[in-house]
Amino acid sequence: MIDPSELSRRRFMQLGLNVGAAAGASMLLPGLVRPARAALPGISEEEAVIAFGHVGPITDEGWTWSHHQGLEAVKAAYPKAKYLEVESIPYSADATRTFRQFVSEGANILFSTSNYGDFFYDVANRAPDTAFLECDGRTLGDNLGWYYVAHWWPTFVVGVAAGALSKTGKLGYVASFPVPSVYSSTNAFLMGARTVNPNATLQAITINSWFDPQAATQAGTALIDNGCDFLFGIMDEAGYLQVAEQRGVWAAMWNTDIRRYGPNAYVSSIIVDFKQYYVEQVKARLEGKWAPAGTILKMGAGVDRDAWGAKVPADVAAKADAVRKDILDGKFNPFTGPIKDSTGAVRVKDGEAVDDAWLYNWDWSIEGVTGVGS
Amino acid sequence: MTQTGETAIGGAGTPPIVLMRGIAKYFPGVVANEGVDLEVKRGEIHALLGENGAGKSTLMNILTGIYQPDAGEIVIDGYDAHFASPVAAIAAGIGMVHQHFKLVQAFTVAENIHLGWSQTPRFASARALEARTKALAERFNLDVDPAKRIFELSAGEQQRVEILRVLAREARLLILDEPTAVLTPAEARELFKALRRFREAGNAVIFISHKLDEVLEISDRITVLRAGRKVATHEAAACDPAMLARLMVGRDIVLGDYRKRDVTAAPSAVPPVLELDRVAAKDDRGLPALAEVSLTLRPGEILGIAGVAGNGQRELSQVLTGLRPITAGAIRIDGKTVDKPDASECAARGIGHIPDDRLRSGLAPSLSVTDNAVIREYKAAPLAAGPLYRPGAAGGLAREIAAAAEVAVPDFAMPVRNLSGGNQQRLVARREMRIAQKVLVAAYPSRGLDVGAINTMLRYFVELRDAGVAVVLISEELEELLNLSDRIAVLYEGRIMGVFDAAAADFETIGLLMGGRTAAREAAA
Amino acid sequence: MSYRLQRLPSAHPGIAVLARLVAIVLALVIAGIALAFTGARPLALGVQVISSTFGSSFGLEDLGLLVTPLIFTGLAVALTQRIGIWNIGAEGQFYLGAFFATWLGTSIAGAPLPLMLVALFLAGALGGALWILIPTLARAYADVNELITTLLLNFVATLLVYYVSTGPWRDAKSNMLASTARIRYEVPEFWGIVHWGFPVAVLMALGVAALLAYTRWGYEVRIAGANPQAARYAGMPVRRRIIVVMLLSGAIAGVAGMFEVAGTVHRLQGGISNNFGYLGIMVAVLARGSALAVIPAAAMMAVILNAGIILQTQGITTSTVLAITGLVLFFTAIGDEAAHYRLVRTGAQPA
Repeated sequence: MIDPSELSRRRFMQLGLNVGAAAGASMLLPGLVRPARAALPGISEEEAVIAFGHVGPITDEGWTWSHHQGLEAVKAAYPKAKYLEVESIPYSADATRTFRQFVSEGANILFSTSNYGDFFYDVANRAPDTAFLECDGRTLGDNLGWYYVAHWWPTFVVGVAAGALSKTGKLGYVASFPVPSVYSSTNAFLMGARTVNPNATLQAITINSWFDPQAATQAGTALIDNGCDFLFGIMDEAGYLQVAEQRGVWAAMWNTDIRRYGPNAYVSSIIVDFKQYYVEQVKARLEGKWAPAGTILKMGAGVDRDAWGAKVPADVAAKADAVRKDILDGKFNPFTGPIKDSTGAVRVKDGEAVDDAWLYNWDWSIEGVTGVGS
Repeated sequence: MTQTGETAIGGAGTPPIVLMRGIAKYFPGVVANEGVDLEVKRGEIHALLGENGAGKSTLMNILTGIYQPDAGEIVIDGYDAHFASPVAAIAAGIGMVHQHFKLVQAFTVAENIHLGWSQTPRFASARALEARTKALAERFNLDVDPAKRIFELSAGEQQRVEILRVLAREARLLILDEPTAVLTPAEARELFKALRRFREAGNAVIFISHKLDEVLEISDRITVLRAGRKVATHEAAACDPAMLARLMVGRDIVLGDYRKRDVTAAPSAVPPVLELDRVAAKDDRGLPALAEVSLTLRPGEILGIAGVAGNGQRELSQVLTGLRPITAGAIRIDGKTVDKPDASECAARGIGHIPDDRLRSGLAPSLSVTDNAVIREYKAAPLAAGPLYRPGAAGGLAREIAAAAEVAVPDFAMPVRNLSGGNQQRLVARREMRIAQKVLVAAYPSRGLDVGAINTMLRYFVELRDAGVAVVLISEELEELLNLSDRIAVLYEGRIMGVFDAAAADFETIGLLMGGRTAAREAAA
Repeated sequence: MSYRLQRLPSAHPGIAVLARLVAIVLALVIAGIALAFTGARPLALGVQVISSTFGSSFGLEDLGLLVTPLIFTGLAVALTQRIGIWNIGAEGQFYLGAFFATWLGTSIAGAPLPLMLVALFLAGALGGALWILIPTLARAYADVNELITTLLLNFVATLLVYYVSTGPWRDAKSNMLASTARIRYEVPEFWGIVHWGFPVAVLMALGVAALLAYTRWGYEVRIAGANPQAARYAGMPVRRRIIVVMLLSGAIAGVAGMFEVAGTVHRLQGGISNNFGYLGIMVAVLARGSALAVIPAAAMMAVILNAGIILQTQGITTSTVLAITGLVLFFTAIGDEAAHYRLVRTGAQPA
């Protein structure tokens, strides 16, 4: 039998999801708080159970490792709480089972450090006393929020360096899935490069995984064979950096500083840092002040470019950093029309500037990007 | 030569080559062997006689390391021996040729000979192995084609490969389980010559057989087993067939002329029930197996098919029962030509079939006794009700068949392979007799059976004949054929060499035809 | 007096169950000792696993949801085993069942639910059956080994589903990664998260068991599986039985995929099979090819898989969990073999 209240809640969430995706910019503004039906009551540190579900292994030295650092920061702040952590959760009904297990073990706040969508929401629907937070999510509910990083800003900055460093003007990109974070990443990167080299193009290879060192290595090799002399990607590990080092081309990475795997090829990385956010969320939950919200961490407060690689010429670094400073100072928004899609049609009108909420839902490739989705 | 010969023949001081004492072996619910003693001296051919299930094979499997005895000891050349595996037994010079051949079907003869043999060259081409095999075959006077694959060979040829394989490994004790069952009389004579040569070199042979004459001819001493226990050991010279038969079955056996009929029996009358008209068929490899075969079968007669195994018997029995398509000619049942006979239709028309290889084609070894017993009648009431199959009714029918076949089945749910070979054969025979309303095709029904069981089996056929059923009896036992058949057809290389009235037929003529010689050609030669 | 082991041709059913239990306990004891060395507290973990699995309706619901596809795929494999064929392709048939159900469930709007459930069921069965059609015909008419053909088609099916779920059918509206849109019809849940696929799976296992034991068709399948020559000898249409059994097996695996997509996940995605097709082979082996025994075997497999998830939340790494799972299955296999042996006394003459 279906519980009617459940059905209606689900339908409501579906609605919120659609509105959010369509254009509900105000709803998705960072920091926006959606009033809950009733705030979840506070809980003592000793009784608290805090759960983290990861998409990859915490030893990946990348995305999952960064989130694990966040967990460690929470642990340092609240050492008496109980912590549950599961790595490498598959995108299948097993994800639901893992989240349910967290709930059955009494989790008060549950972070999914990747986008598990319905697998996550199905559990949230049935566990109204647990706070659910989904990284790269889009859906708000009574006990469900989301968070992400505005990675497109530092990506644009690194793109500027790539435009200066690439001789062929052909940029290679190892992509995971045709999803908004990949569209915004590839697009921002090429837009940055084109400020230096207007003829630059970006070729992506989609490997259907966030963590597959072998596939990433093969993709990197194929891209270099196709004439790319700068590799970028959105992988949780260092696979293609080693390829770039061996083949003598440049590479920029994601998540963490992993220059030791390719000291000569390393340009920079999109560094993420969730420590502060996680501590804040747990604090709010313990104090009974937690409310579901969608949060996008801005450049300088959760996401940034890494210190430039040893072989990056000082003038290139200076040029890119000047752009970064202008963005941080609010003087420059690179994501301003006209922006054409891959068919050449103008999708963002001349002079129109788009914001984080828009960029977070970017789902088409700009002109010059090939290989992401259809 | 004389020196070694004397020591080999052995006086009182020489230990026997094999001494088994107090051997026991138990299987669930079965005493296979208990308190069995066996002594085999150097330079003797020792026959092991016994009914099916008397424990001969088990005893030999213990001697060759396939089974471990539950009690008793084995002494080889005066020393305690324990064979953990057949390899250990072979190393001690004990080799066995099994009734069910243990050859790799997909390998060539040469490969089988050299398989698992320490003297196989480490690197050898197929041709080199074949040359070695050819040399061995000539040395032991066993005709085999080294390049042929086992599945291409007849049972007789396969047995030759088995014997050659054992002899090649320099066995001092050769164990033969029913060796002559698949040989022509001439081949059997050659085998006996080889065995005698083997004995004269100071070796020993254990010869397992049901054929009393043969045992008396070849062996020096005879040990008789009954119900897993040793009954007696006698010098062959002091034995006669009647006495051996008594020892084996514990009662007197009448080997009689089954051709006598009751007055009430159905007469052998027209019209024919089954006719083959210039039929041809191919074997499994697509080569011609039967040609121009014409046979007429009348109700209430027994037609014997004589011939050496591998001359088309298998194909003939399959053609008669609808299992094998014909490539030329016609089949008529009750005078009507059957265009495309299939096994199901033939069975439905009352043609029963006792196949030559029960385990391979007549039974599903891993399924229960019940499932196997009802394979011919599962489509009919009371087993079938619409599309349903009724296990309860099937169990009832299985019990009925087992009772008629006088087979004691401890558990009808156990796999049929747990039954002894003789009991399987009896079950199959009874099962087929039930559906054989018109014709029963029996291929080598007595193969592997003991005298008592053969007797029972032949009685079955007589019963059927007297009830007006036509029986086709395919056999290698000429005596059996002559005893039982009304007419005898001889099959050689897929052709009918001649059909004789059994009463008028003589052993010699038929024997010659079986060897592919006509009397005329023989005279001319 | 001494004792010796003797192998029996077939194990006594009671002994077989006992041997399996002993094997599982032994495997868990060994895993526990190994875990204790790494600093974990195996007893507390064991209590946690048992209380989480059986102590709450939450755990039992998980089990019910997990066992459903395992019964279907295990049944699919066990069924072909009865006719002597190995369907290694349940994984691919599962995908195709899910694919067909998704296609139907996303493309038709506004149809009444009961009607659509029947249609989805048929679509799933059809998808699975179609996916095994080529291996079936190749096996039946050209004697092509089905192990290879069914296995290879798994990869094709996986790639097909990955392609549609990340490409043409991708849900662009929501941010579900690499998934199609939510299908419009859901198999109703009858107990917590457990949907009607569970009772259907149990009924289907019972139905197949009855089909094999109580129909002429089933009898013929069993004979043909044990010895095809004997089946031909008895005039049974072996080829037709092989074709129907294989198609039925594919259909059952396809239904598993349909229930997974319409009852559990509600979207088609690359990882939807969760290896249920391959796990089905393990279930069938544990069930020794018996359709009825598929139910307890699938339940055992579900408990093992669920225990794996519980252990992971307790900080046991995925690879350790896999090692424990492997250990349990390995010991089960040893236990099955050991059940064939009995201890006999030697050295004394029985009276």
